[in-house]
Formats: sequence, C-alpha cells, structure tokens
Amino acid sequence: MSTAADVARLNGPRGRTGRTAVWIRPERVKELSLVGVVVVALLVFGFLVDDYFSGRFFNRVTTSVAITAVLAVAQTIVIVTRNIDLSVGSIVGVTAYLTGQFASANPSTSPAIAIAIAVALGALLGAINGVIVAYGRVPAIITTLGTLAIYRSWLISHGEGRTITADSLPSWVVDLPTRTLFSIGGLDIRVVFAVVIAIVAVLQIAMQRLRWGRRLYAIGSNPEAAAQAGLPTRRLVLSAFIACGGLSGFAGFLFLSRFGNITVVAGQGLELDSVAAAVVGGVSVLGGSGTLVGAFLGAVLIDVLDQSLVRVPQVTEFWRNAILGALILAAVIADVVIGRRFRRRWSAEARPHTKVDASSGGDADPTRVPALTSAEQSGERGMPDA
Amino acid sequence: MAAAVAGQMTDTSPVLAMRGICKRFGATRALDDVSLELHRGEVHALVGENGAGKSTLIKVMTGIYPPDEGAVLVDGEPVSLRSAADAQRLGIGAIYQEPLIFPDLSVAENIFIGHQDQGRVVRWRQMSADAAAILARLDVHIDPRIPASGLPVATQQAIEIAKAISLDVRVLIMDEPTAALSAHEVERLFRQVRQLRDSGVAVLFISHRLDEVFEIADRVSVFRDGRHVSTDARDDVTRPRLIAAMVGRQMSDFYARHEHHAGEVILSVRDLGRTGKFAGVSFDLRRGEVLGLAGLVGAGRTDIALALFGIAPAEAGTIELDGRAVEIAAPRQALDHGIAYLSEDRRHVGLSLPQSVTANITLPSLRRYVSRLGLVNGAAERSVAERFRRQLSIRTAGLSQPVGLLSGGNQQKTMLAKWLNTEPAVLILDEPTRGIDVGAKADVHQIIDDLARSGMAIVLISSDLPEVLAVSDRVLVMREGEQTGLFDRTEATQERVMTAAVGVA
Repeated sequence: MSTAADVARLNGPRGRTGRTAVWIRPERVKELSLVGVVVVALLVFGFLVDDYFSGRFFNRVTTSVAITAVLAVAQTIVIVTRNIDLSVGSIVGVTAYLTGQFASANPSTSPAIAIAIAVALGALLGAINGVIVAYGRVPAIITTLGTLAIYRSWLISHGEGRTITADSLPSWVVDLPTRTLFSIGGLDIRVVFAVVIAIVAVLQIAMQRLRWGRRLYAIGSNPEAAAQAGLPTRRLVLSAFIACGGLSGFAGFLFLSRFGNITVVAGQGLELDSVAAAVVGGVSVLGGSGTLVGAFLGAVLIDVLDQSLVRVPQVTEFWRNAILGALILAAVIADVVIGRRFRRRWSAEARPHTKVDASSGGDADPTRVPALTSAEQSGERGMPDA
Repeated sequence: MAAAVAGQMTDTSPVLAMRGICKRFGATRALDDVSLELHRGEVHALVGENGAGKSTLIKVMTGIYPPDEGAVLVDGEPVSLRSAADAQRLGIGAIYQEPLIFPDLSVAENIFIGHQDQGRVVRWRQMSADAAAILARLDVHIDPRIPASGLPVATQQAIEIAKAISLDVRVLIMDEPTAALSAHEVERLFRQVRQLRDSGVAVLFISHRLDEVFEIADRVSVFRDGRHVSTDARDDVTRPRLIAAMVGRQMSDFYARHEHHAGEVILSVRDLGRTGKFAGVSFDLRRGEVLGLAGLVGAGRTDIALALFGIAPAEAGTIELDGRAVEIAAPRQALDHGIAYLSEDRRHVGLSLPQSVTANITLPSLRRYVSRLGLVNGAAERSVAERFRRQLSIRTAGLSQPVGLLSGGNQQKTMLAKWLNTEPAVLILDEPTRGIDVGAKADVHQIIDDLARSGMAIVLISSDLPEVLAVSDRVLVMREGEQTGLFDRTEATQERVMTAAVGVA
C-alpha cells in the first residue's frame, strides 16, 4: 500500500551507518509471508490431489472466502481497538433470516434495498454492542458473549422454527453467487468475490489514511494515552462496533444469497472463523496492530485449507480442525518472532547518538532483560506492555 | 510563536490560575482551598510529599477530575474543564513520569494523533517531515516513521514534548519527568524545558529531587496535605526551608545511623561480567555491612543485581558465597543461596498489585505455609503478614487490602516484607526509596540500618547520591558498565563518587 512505498522512498534522516535501510513495516512482512504460505499450500495440495487446480475449486474457495473475509475484516476493525465481537455469527443469522423474510414477502425487492436492510440491521445490532461496551463499560468479551446468545434466542423465537427457502426468494438473490464478472483463462471472477475485494481495499485505505482509522489503532495501542490525547474514545469504539455490525449484516446478505435456505441457526460458529482469520492474518488480539489485508489473507488461507483438506482422503474431519488450530498457534508464534526481530532493528536504529545515552538501556525493566542477549540490544527499553 | 513572546513576557496576568479549588474523595480532602498561578515564560516547581495533592491538582488542571469547588481561569477567564480534550483545546498539556505513548504507532503519529485541526485524511509524508522538524529542534534525531515501542524513556518523553509543542501548549505540566532518566538525559530534558519557557510556555515542574528544582525552577510552590503552603522565588528559598515546609517540621539529617560491625565476608565477587552490560566487577560483602552501588542510570548497577539474583546470569567471573564458588543461573538458585532482590520496578515486577498485602508477602516463601494436604494455611500466612506490618509499620486498612491501593512507601515496605520473609543472608535493594515520600524514606533508611545491625549483608542501589553516602558503609561506583571506584565510608565524598561516576572531565 501507499504508506510502505512512501516510507521506503523517504529514507530516514539517519543514514549514518551508510547502509541503505529499506523501510519495511512488519505488517508487510506478515502479509507477504501469508501469501507465501498460501502459495506453498496450493502447491502441496496440487501435488497430493489429482485435478486439484480446476475452475470449480477456484469458485468454491472464492465463494466461501467472500463471507469469511467480510467477517474477518469486520472483526479486525473491532480487535484493533482492543475489543472483540463474538456476536458476528448471530448478527449474520439475524440479518440473513430477516432480509430473506422481507425479500420473500416482497418479491420485487431490489438488490439495493435488500443490501441496505441487511447492513442497517447489522449496524443496529453492532450499535447495541458498542453502546454497552463503550458507554456501559462492560468488557467486550462479556457483552458480545451475551448478545451472541440474545440475538440468536430472539431469532429462534421470532422464526418459530420456520425455514426461509430458496424458491421463495427473488431469483436474483439465488443467482447472485454464480454471476460472473469476467473470466481469466477459465477462472471465473465472481461478482461477489470482486465486490468483497473492493470492500477490503477501500476499508484498508480508510484504516490507514483516515484519521478515524488511525485513531482506532491508537485506542487499541494505549487506551489511557488515547484518552489523555483528547480522543473521543467512546465514540470511536462505538463506531468500530457499528462498522463491524454493518459488515456482518452484509455478510448476512451474502450468506442468504449463497445458501438460499436459511434456518434459525444460520451463521452459528462464524464468530470463531472471523477471529481465527484475523489472528492468522497477523492481527494482534491485544489491539493496536494488524491490517485488514492481513485478515483477508488469513481468511483465504483458512478457506483454502478447509476446501483442500476435504479432498485429501487421509485427512479426517477431526484432523482438519486440528490443522486449523495448529495454524492459529503458528500464526501467533510467528507474530511474536517477527515482532521481536523488528523491535531489535528499530532499537538499534533509534539508538541515541552519544555514548552516554547508548548505555542508557542498561538499567532497563528487569522483566525484559532475559530477552536481551547482546550489546546490540542495549538501546532497547521497552514499554511494560510492549 | 517567537514574535508573540516579547509582548507576552511583559504581561503579568497568569495564563492559568486555580482559585480556591477543593476536591474530595469520600471523606478525604485531596485538595483543600488550593490557589496557584502560572505565568507565561516561567518554570514553576511544585514539591510536596506523596499524598500532598500534587497528582489531584494535575488531574483537575487537565480536565480528568472536575473540582468540587473553586474556579479555573485561563487568561483571566473562568473555564470549565470537563475532559482531556477541553484542556487540550485551552492549551494545557501534561507529561508523566511514565510516558503515555502508543507503542504500535509511529513516532510521528504519536505526536499528531490528537490534533483536531488536521483533515480527515492522514498525510503521512507531511506528518513525518513535520515530526522530524520538531524533534530536531529538541535535539532528538530519530526516524519519525519507526514505532514508538522500544524507544528509551527519554526519547519517549521527547516525543511527548514534541506533541506539546505541536499543539502550541501554553501550559505544560511535567509530573516527575526525570525519575527514569540518566544525568545526561536530564540535562537534555532541561535544555528542552528552558527552550519551552523561553518561547513563553508556563511549565509546571513536579519533582522529588530538590537539586533539580533549584536548577530549573523560577518559582517554587510547596503543597502539604492537600493545601498550598507557600510560593517563593527560587532565590528566596533554601533547601532546609523547603523540606521543613514539605513535612511541616524541621527534619534532622536523614536518620539516626548506628555504627555497623562488619563480620566475615559472605559474598565475594571477582571479575563478574555480562556481555554488553558490565565487566570486571569485583567486591567483597561482609555480614552486617551496607554496600552502596552508585552511578548514573544505565551504568550497569541493576545488571549486577540481576546477575547476582540469576535473572540475567553473569557470563564471566566467579561468585563465592561463604567461601564456596556457586553458580546462579535462575532466581530459585539465588533464593536457595539466601540472596533476595527487591526490584526497582515495584508496580510491574516487584508486587502483584491486585492481590492482598498478605498474598504478596508470602508469595516467595509460600511453601512454608502449605499443609500436608497441599492447602495453604491462611492463618499462618496472616500472622506472618501481621508481624511484618507491625515491624515495618506498614500503613494499610487491612492485610487483605490490595497492595495497589497503598501509597508508594507502604508498597515498598510490603515488598521489603516479602523478601525479608525469605530470610535472606544477602539483601539487594534496587532504588528502594524512589518515588516515595520523605517520611517513608526515613522509615526505609531506618529499616536498612536495623537489618545491617542484625547481621544482614545489604547491597543498596540508589541514584540518590546523598542517600547512598549516608546509608552505606562502603560505596562501589560504576560508570558505563565498569567499576570505577570502591570507597570506604570515610573517603566517600560527593565529589569523589561523582567524579568516578561521570569520569574525569
């Protein structure tokens, strides 16, 4: 993205070592390594599975990624503020069901209306979460665990066990998943997938270039400092939950069009997929760091593995889940390792230029000392929570 | 800014005035009818014991606490401060002992994140260039695009000063900004403060170090028990008068020190070293003796303690305890050898703040209070805690009170109890009086004296030179990881120790 390019060109004011330091943010490293992992996974499966690279497989992955990716991005916006939204699965269920109900009752519903209803409903449910978290000061994990159950229970009582069926929906809804925008050499780029890519790109730029986005990162990075800096932290946290809810509502609409038949348990468990995708994508659950592109790639990796492992006969359902679990752990460990390497480089670069200062990290916080092993790191003096 | 200075300097009306401020928390009066005026282009020092009301005053000034009574006037106009954003709009900024930075954000973003007047879209390149320009004025040369995490405290503070400059603050409150800085860094900070003052900013400077107050302040105000005691021009006050005003009584010199009778050598260290931290450290420590470790922050004193306690083990040299060579690779081993270490960082590693006083005291020696069934004997725990509470006069509402709610001095005493309960033969104290009030300081000195008289061998690390000289029997001086002096009590003068600590000019 533009920032990385900008900063790479703008070489720092301290070229004193003579080494041309190319400026790379850790997010870029994470994103590139994720792309690498996806490619390696594809090659390995291509070797293991006959006829692996097919147009059908590509469609299957992109169709399912569309929903996971939107939820991963939604989740990331909240996680960045050091919160979490466990109710996204329930929001998907409620919006899919209600939007389906509305479209069944009004067969002339236009796409714009249907999407607007889904997004508005989701944003409303997100706003409820946000108000409780930001103004009621209830921890997000508790709040959204509660609303996860409440939204779902409401849906069950509202739906009374009825199912929205595909044939009751306007035909454009059911046809949407198979609509193709254009094809490249036998691979169909589906409309839905293209739209999702566009959403990810636009939101990524918003998170990086809008003051709003940077302030969400600031809140997650140090809530106390954010309040001291005069940021409207409550309003910002609320806005993150509303954005997350609205996106989940959109995912609910995609869910409706993909499956057509919607029961009251629709979308159950998606909250875990969304968190998993974000974490695999390098988003720190402690807030303050991680990108939407990363979360998108996390969703891609998870869906590629999910769809591919099905086709490897030796891998049972049980092992599929275990592999996904291992992937999440690997992502977290990689995160720590990459983070440490970067901190070391920065601290070396930021080392003050006088000799007295160069040793000033010596009496550093003892908790951090075991991690420091060489003179090169003596400039490091971490925040307690770094 | 510079153009306006001339006009402002002649203006004598205060830029910020507090009038009759009262603030109560339940039954306690944190601030009682306090008035204070800050003028343009002055450094105004605020001193007082912990609990004197300084922190509450800062919180009122920055809009975090609304006052119960009284008025805040900016440029003579009454204002209402309801949030940090209000204070920021009125040009009031604050910098704390522990910088409030965003570790994940870049240096430039840290400076500009709170600005209301920037557009909705972040212009990264412009922001980095602006940040670099402001930092350069402060003599800080770092790439503004690197994240703020991992930067030295002094640099993080400079970032906060840069933030204040970029916001065009008119009042800057600095709450113990030098507590974690080395002498060299303090010098640079003072240059930055004077630069701010000369551009017309009113600086409120809070410090426990009177030397610094005399060096930097134009006027000095003393607070005691939530009340404003006095405000004087620096040249009109003396150190004893300030201390007397702070404690409300004449303080004799630190404390009544007894003669220590050093016994046989218990700890013998030869050529101890750790790559990049310190090298060639040799000393003997006797029973009943206090060995002071002096030096500037960053000289490697804490690293020696960490090596002796096995947190960051030594890589070179030998350690002998009672004449036997030992290897200390982990804190458990150090404890088994009878060595205890009180960290300088009370809040993060020294204590578990949400837990009770009792739980903190018994934590390292818990196995003694475990019954055969594997259950902790609560009564035994409490009686130990009670014994220390009386012995060290720890002031607490109850032993089940969370340590985090105690004052700094009582937290320090709790930490002392925690390690004394391991019955150490060698006790290493790292900055045991940092950030605690004068009364608690004297208590800690008295406790050290008593322990030494009872035969304990004590290593005292302190950045407070008069304290080291008053309390220690011998003083080992470190400079940039090297041992540069070892003085007996009789030869250890301020000049000698300081010369060894900074090197010959």
